[in-house]
Amino acid sequence: MKFSTFFSLVSLLFVLSKATAQEFKLGKVSIAELEQRVHPKDTAAVAAILYKKGSSKIEFNQNDGFVLVTEVETRIKIYKKEGYNWANQSVVFYIGSPSSREKVDYSDAVTFNLVNGKVEKTKLKSDGIFDENVNKYRSRKKITMPNVKEGSVLEFKYTVRTSNIGMMHDWDFQTSIPVNYSEFKTYIPEYYVFNARQKGYVFPKVATQKNNRSIVLTNKERVSTVGLRAGTVKTEYSTDKLDYIETETTYSSEHFPAMKEESFVNNIDNYLSSISHELSMVKAPNRPIEMYSADWNSVVKTIYDYDTFGPELNKTGYFEDDIKTVLNGLNTPDEKIIALLNYVKSSVKWNGYFGYDCDSGVRKAYKEKTGNIADINLMLTAMLRYAGLTANPVLTSTRSNGIALFPNRTAFNYVIAAVETPTGYVLLDASDKYSVPNVLPLRVLNWQGRLIRKDGTSEDVDLMPKKVSNDIVFLSYAIDPEGKVSGKARRQCFDHNAMIIRNNIDGLKEEEYLEKLENENNKIEISDYVRTNQKEILLPTIETYSFTGNNLCEVIGGKIYVDPMLFFSNHENPFKQEIREYPVDFGFPFLDKYSITIQIPEGFTVETLPAPVVMNMEDNLGSFKFVIAQNQNVLQLNVVHQINEAIVTTEKYDMLKEYYKGMVAKETEKIVLKRI
Amino acid sequence: MKSHVCALFFFFFSSLLLAQKKDYSILSISDSLKENANAVVRFNQTDITILSQRSMNTKNHRIVTVLNEKGFDATESFEFYDKSTSVKNIEAIIYDAFGKEIKKVRRKDFKDQSVVGGGTLFSDSRYLYLDYTPISYPFTVEFISEVQTSSTAFIPKWMPLQGFNTSVEKASLNVVFLKDLGFKKKEFQFSNFDIKKTLDTDTQLSYVASNILAQKQEDYSPSYRELFPKVMMGLEYFHLEGVDGTATNWVDFGKWYSEKILSGTTDLPEETKTKIKALVGEEKDPIKKAKIVYDFVQKKSRYVSIQVGIGGWKPMLATDVDRLGYGDCKALTNYTKALLQAVDVPSYNTVLYGDAYKTNIESEFVSMQGNHMILSIPTGDHYTWLECTSQDDPFGYQGTFTDDRDVLVIKPEGGEIVHTKIYDDKGNKQTDKGSYAIDQNGTLTGAVSIVSEGSQYSSKSRVETLQPTEKEAHYKEYWDYINNLKLGKITFNNDKENVRFTEDIQISAANYATISANKLIFAVDVFNQNSTNVKRIRNRKNPFQFQRGYIDTDEIEVSLPTGFAIEFLPSNFELKGKFGEYKTEIIKKENNKLIYKRSISVNKGKYSNKEYDEYRLFMEQVSRNDNAKIILTKN
Repeated sequence: MKFSTFFSLVSLLFVLSKATAQEFKLGKVSIAELEQRVHPKDTAAVAAILYKKGSSKIEFNQNDGFVLVTEVETRIKIYKKEGYNWANQSVVFYIGSPSSREKVDYSDAVTFNLVNGKVEKTKLKSDGIFDENVNKYRSRKKITMPNVKEGSVLEFKYTVRTSNIGMMHDWDFQTSIPVNYSEFKTYIPEYYVFNARQKGYVFPKVATQKNNRSIVLTNKERVSTVGLRAGTVKTEYSTDKLDYIETETTYSSEHFPAMKEESFVNNIDNYLSSISHELSMVKAPNRPIEMYSADWNSVVKTIYDYDTFGPELNKTGYFEDDIKTVLNGLNTPDEKIIALLNYVKSSVKWNGYFGYDCDSGVRKAYKEKTGNIADINLMLTAMLRYAGLTANPVLTSTRSNGIALFPNRTAFNYVIAAVETPTGYVLLDASDKYSVPNVLPLRVLNWQGRLIRKDGTSEDVDLMPKKVSNDIVFLSYAIDPEGKVSGKARRQCFDHNAMIIRNNIDGLKEEEYLEKLENENNKIEISDYVRTNQKEILLPTIETYSFTGNNLCEVIGGKIYVDPMLFFSNHENPFKQEIREYPVDFGFPFLDKYSITIQIPEGFTVETLPAPVVMNMEDNLGSFKFVIAQNQNVLQLNVVHQINEAIVTTEKYDMLKEYYKGMVAKETEKIVLKRI
Repeated sequence: MKSHVCALFFFFFSSLLLAQKKDYSILSISDSLKENANAVVRFNQTDITILSQRSMNTKNHRIVTVLNEKGFDATESFEFYDKSTSVKNIEAIIYDAFGKEIKKVRRKDFKDQSVVGGGTLFSDSRYLYLDYTPISYPFTVEFISEVQTSSTAFIPKWMPLQGFNTSVEKASLNVVFLKDLGFKKKEFQFSNFDIKKTLDTDTQLSYVASNILAQKQEDYSPSYRELFPKVMMGLEYFHLEGVDGTATNWVDFGKWYSEKILSGTTDLPEETKTKIKALVGEEKDPIKKAKIVYDFVQKKSRYVSIQVGIGGWKPMLATDVDRLGYGDCKALTNYTKALLQAVDVPSYNTVLYGDAYKTNIESEFVSMQGNHMILSIPTGDHYTWLECTSQDDPFGYQGTFTDDRDVLVIKPEGGEIVHTKIYDDKGNKQTDKGSYAIDQNGTLTGAVSIVSEGSQYSSKSRVETLQPTEKEAHYKEYWDYINNLKLGKITFNNDKENVRFTEDIQISAANYATISANKLIFAVDVFNQNSTNVKRIRNRKNPFQFQRGYIDTDEIEVSLPTGFAIEFLPSNFELKGKFGEYKTEIIKKENNKLIYKRSISVNKGKYSNKEYDEYRLFMEQVSRNDNAKIILTKN
């Protein structure tokens, strides 16, 4: 994967220029906006954001000190009924701890309609505002706008206040409808340093300026007068004026198109244009500098210092006795790795929660046999270290969480273990029962992770599988004169393919599985089914069975038309879109190989055979081979379909689509048999 | 049509603890109970005590062994609550396979969550649920709860078997009630199950069910609610969110509903009345007036579901809907009624189950039922039904969400059970007319006009509202057997007056015909190949049904490439049977042209498990013949 080139656009980000002067004010809805029937650039749009303006300001007030106040104004045009959902809005906010809870207010919410050429305003009242306590930590404030029709323009504003300066909300410049104008401003005093990170395929303009600010502090001091009458207290007032520099940054974008979902996309949010801010440093006057995250090393240091991370790695007492037994008699690192991985898998089950820091804590998780990702994989790391291996945690971000592009604590939500060996890192995840060394669950296969060593240093680790996962099929069958087929199949799946098969089979009774296999494969009838290595997860899965099928060949006009790969052929090109916006993500490189022996019926001979073909994509992206040979009444067919990269960039989409088109055409080509 | 189900009704699954030493080990479960089961309900006792018209206490004590990953839902370890319902106790204990206790879960460790989600914007109902990560399978959950409510309008149904792939060792129900509340019950589907009524007096009712084996879910099967035993219960004198009610018969129940729930909700501002009267003008015909009003409501309003307190049952005031332009099914139905009133057209709120799976209001059991509300307008000897939550439905169209089922029409003079419109099989039509050509490289180009009517209208007309990318995906899915499909111009005509949706689509596809040596091979049926994959099911147990029939007819002109001769044409084909009829015909014309005619009809009906293979073979022949190929040889 070429991580750097793929996201090289990022470097174009900070093109400083003054945003075009745009005057957007609440209440100033124009007749033209109300009259507009369709969006000028996207006639199919159900609604559009005419403008959305936000600011996050760190302000001082006498009672609370510095507080973070975020104000957002939005104007939305509804074109069609299907866009009515845009009239329901909500803000999710934090209510967990008193010191950092947020307060949200909606205001200036008005629906504008054009009635007989006149603007009619309907204000949102309290009966359209709702508070929903989602859980202990989160609440949601919702509004539903009144009097919404096709053509309505809606406006509303909300304000979020908190004394937790670190909780600046992310700003998305794009959404599923077009955004005509989007602007986000930050006002940050010199005492705070934020890391601002932008991502996406299109980027806003950025402008900054410095403002001189000052605050007046009124100090009230109770002073004991020292003297004859000790104990007399008097109150003295004094005022201090503090000057500081505030940085005002404006991000603005015009006419960003609607985001559209595609198949084979890792996570569409990775491509959404947005900006997030993370507090990296606080340097208050007369106080030591507090560092949070500025670069990968300080991010890693911060995380390592969490009570729920580093110290958890150092606890060993709870498992020592048990692990001695597990390691007893094992010598090589490989043996130890496997033994410990299996031990953690069987003794602690994943409770479904992500997180790079421990939830229960390793000790409790071990005792209760259940924990989150960090409980499990930090425990594994500690055990590996205890066994004398060089093991370290690797911070990662799941596919659903998006790609960790920038040094940032919240970019991660997951942790795995890595063992350093002379041949490179061995990556481990004990939360998935079918994961084996270097075969991680699909949710983890997301670009890069960050490995943290004991001494606090860290480095990038590529998570994307390099090794091709094989799927190898031997098929041998005979055709009778009525076109019925009977034969045997043997399928071996390796690595990621094996993990997928094992997960599919998991929990399915054999009868259920066979019913599914029969129905998915042209209603063949399966017998003598044998499955090997279901439990020996280091080995490939092997399935063998005999089958008969009445629907596998077509008899037309006395000739038999054979789909030579039977139910293994690809009948459909998965790439149907004409234009591809985002990279194709296969998850891992793979190779599908088929060796097929076909016995043709007595009294028949081959009339036509598909011609052999070899297709190679550029840059060794993949190749397809189809070779067929005849030896009297036996045909031998070999087919190989191989994709060498987990992720295919959009520039190569047309090539990939053509490749699949050629492959499907070849695999569906018939062998024609005629009577002698 | 969008499925807008309002929370007219809440089902409270609740219960009580009988101190008894239980065997929690899995070793004592018989093999027959484990067969096909993801979970085994070992013990499930429900004790309902109705202390007065305004007080009901439900205790649950349930022990469920979860055999695998799919079995946890059978533990039903949750309770709902709201302003009138409180959870007095909830706890759970987890045991390992040998019956050893491994974890106790107290109330504070249950997760507390709002039920808001899906189509609901706001509701004050919440629920507590057990969030447990299994360490290994099997394991056993003992769940104990107690719920107290002032609403006695809904006594939970007793269903010892709550779904497929679950078996029951023992389940019991004990109900204690006051004599003068008019307690009543009705039993369903008891035959073939071991259920004993152990008590049935004027103050008590008890049942015990034993050894109910797990059943597999099978395609086209009726809902488990129509297969498994259940007992409906209710009071003639009940209470709902501060209002006492009566349910002795539908007439009285309807009167109560009109007077206590609906009255006073249909006032409108004078301005709106004047506006609607002006729109209706001189029109005298009630149905024509209603069309004008329905159009007005569709343009003015949108569906937003808000369920607060009695608002879960009582419609929002019509004046509020008028001002805000939104509401849920009750609010929008009521608003439409108020507008019709203003122009002297009588109409009635109608309660029903809104679902594509047809479900009746149980007419033999007078009680609060249903999950949706529509409006009915008396029209001579029948009714016109209006779905008021939709901004798109044609006037009076019932699609597949409210058609062909028993509903409760609430008139001021009393309630009445009525059956809604039945869409006749022959009227559920899809008619395809078109043409295509194959060139010498095997490329297909063609155009087709698809006209959908009856219940087929509802699934097709939604295509009109799709975004371009969704539309492309829809057609590529619809014709997924055509590789390399490219869509050309697509136009729609939505004739709401006649409830007829027309799609005109141009398509092309490279390599549609496969080339083998000097031959071109392709399936003659391009536009309407049957994609129903009827699964083989070993030893089907349950009957199967088609709730709606349909008929498709196609007539397609085929142009063959010049320079090729026909080597093989599929012969004409006909199938007739109890499930339906199928017929295809190819007629040779001059100038390398063919006419392909196809028709298929499937009948609405219910069939026994024994007939399933016959149906499968019927559809298999259809699929095979739909895929019949033409072979051309180069001259």
